Amino acid sequence: MIKTVDEYLDQLKDALSGSDPALIQDALSDAEEYLLTAQESAQAEHPHLAKKESLQHIIDKYGAPQEIASAYREAEPFMAPSSAATKKLAKQSFLTRYFGVISDPRAWGASLYAIMSFLTGIIYGLWVLFGISLTLITLLLIIGIPVTGLFLLSVRGIALMEGRIVEALLGVRMPRKPVFVSRELGWKEKFKSLITDSHTWKSLLYMILHFPLGLVLGGITLVLFSFSLKAILYPLLDGVFGRPLITLGSQAFHTSPWLFPLVSAAGIMLFALTLHFIKMIGSIYGRFAKAILVKK
Amino acid sequence: MDLGYIVDANKKFQKELNSGTAALVLLSVLGRAKEPMYGYQIAKMIETKNEAVPMMKQGALYPVLRSLENSGLLESHVDPSVSGPPRRYYTITPSGRETLNSWLEIWNHTKAFVDGLLTGGQND
Repeated sequence: MIKTVDEYLDQLKDALSGSDPALIQDALSDAEEYLLTAQESAQAEHPHLAKKESLQHIIDKYGAPQEIASAYREAEPFMAPSSAATKKLAKQSFLTRYFGVISDPRAWGASLYAIMSFLTGIIYGLWVLFGISLTLITLLLIIGIPVTGLFLLSVRGIALMEGRIVEALLGVRMPRKPVFVSRELGWKEKFKSLITDSHTWKSLLYMILHFPLGLVLGGITLVLFSFSLKAILYPLLDGVFGRPLITLGSQAFHTSPWLFPLVSAAGIMLFALTLHFIKMIGSIYGRFAKAILVKK
Repeated sequence: MDLGYIVDANKKFQKELNSGTAALVLLSVLGRAKEPMYGYQIAKMIETKNEAVPMMKQGALYPVLRSLENSGLLESHVDPSVSGPPRRYYTITPSGRETLNSWLEIWNHTKAFVDGLLTGGQND
């Protein structure tokens, strides 16, 4: 017999093992919401009833962990993020596939993510630097513990938000709710579980790694996009404004006017290639984010 | 015939009917709701309307709510509650309403067709 809500959640987690970690987190939050709410209203209606018995009755209605796990598994194919629904259509020619990327929302999502990570990388990096130094300084004083707690809570909050961005733009399913923490714990236990939970430290690690990776990813994306746009517009830039195609130091390279259409065409090719490249990097980055940010 | 087999067959039939209608039931509950509802509220409301039919386990409604949300028929937000855990409140979207109307039409056709076969049996 299951005696506590935590025990139920543990069994549900076991029953779901092997499923998408984000799905497991959804299922745990849903079960927690139902079981605690039902327990509360049962206590209000029948205060004399033992908590254990009422929980048994509630679980009978909600469903045993095994049953609920299979209900989530059956629904899983319909819970994929919407942008992942863009499946390859029938066989298409190479050219259609090559330029088709221009209408692929995943490629644009990944590009937006890459450009954004230039900014988020800097913000996360500065925040971690600020948080760690503040923590180290205040740890010498009495206010060190609450400051540490607040900083680590902010890390968990940022990790959840980053997960939402990753899901929206990269199409990788990520947690939709904060990690489950039993509400029966006092602040000391909550602080302890925050410190001992590897998820907290992994989130912090992610923020640290996102700093250089975001800068590189965003930088490469911006350079590739701006260079291909420059090449596409080259006939106009050189023909009207006399701007060179490439400048290396003080050397400027121009092409002869009859090559203008070729440079434009190459720019279009490079633009599509950039989208393919960023889309691929985006999907690798999404897996990386998932491996670190989703609590196992 | 073995009694256990009949009970199993009945359970299976009920389960299939329930999983086929769960999305319609949830969509229509939220279609009538005046304000956003959370999972437990929805489950209780369905329970009070239905005492005779062994409805699916209430926990099995949650993944259906999530998949309806993923298809854009529902939308949700999480609100912290005063004493309990945070709750996810669901509302129907305009495209959910449209879908509900066409599902009701399909449901009525199906119901009429099945009822016709079960009660009528005329071959004209």
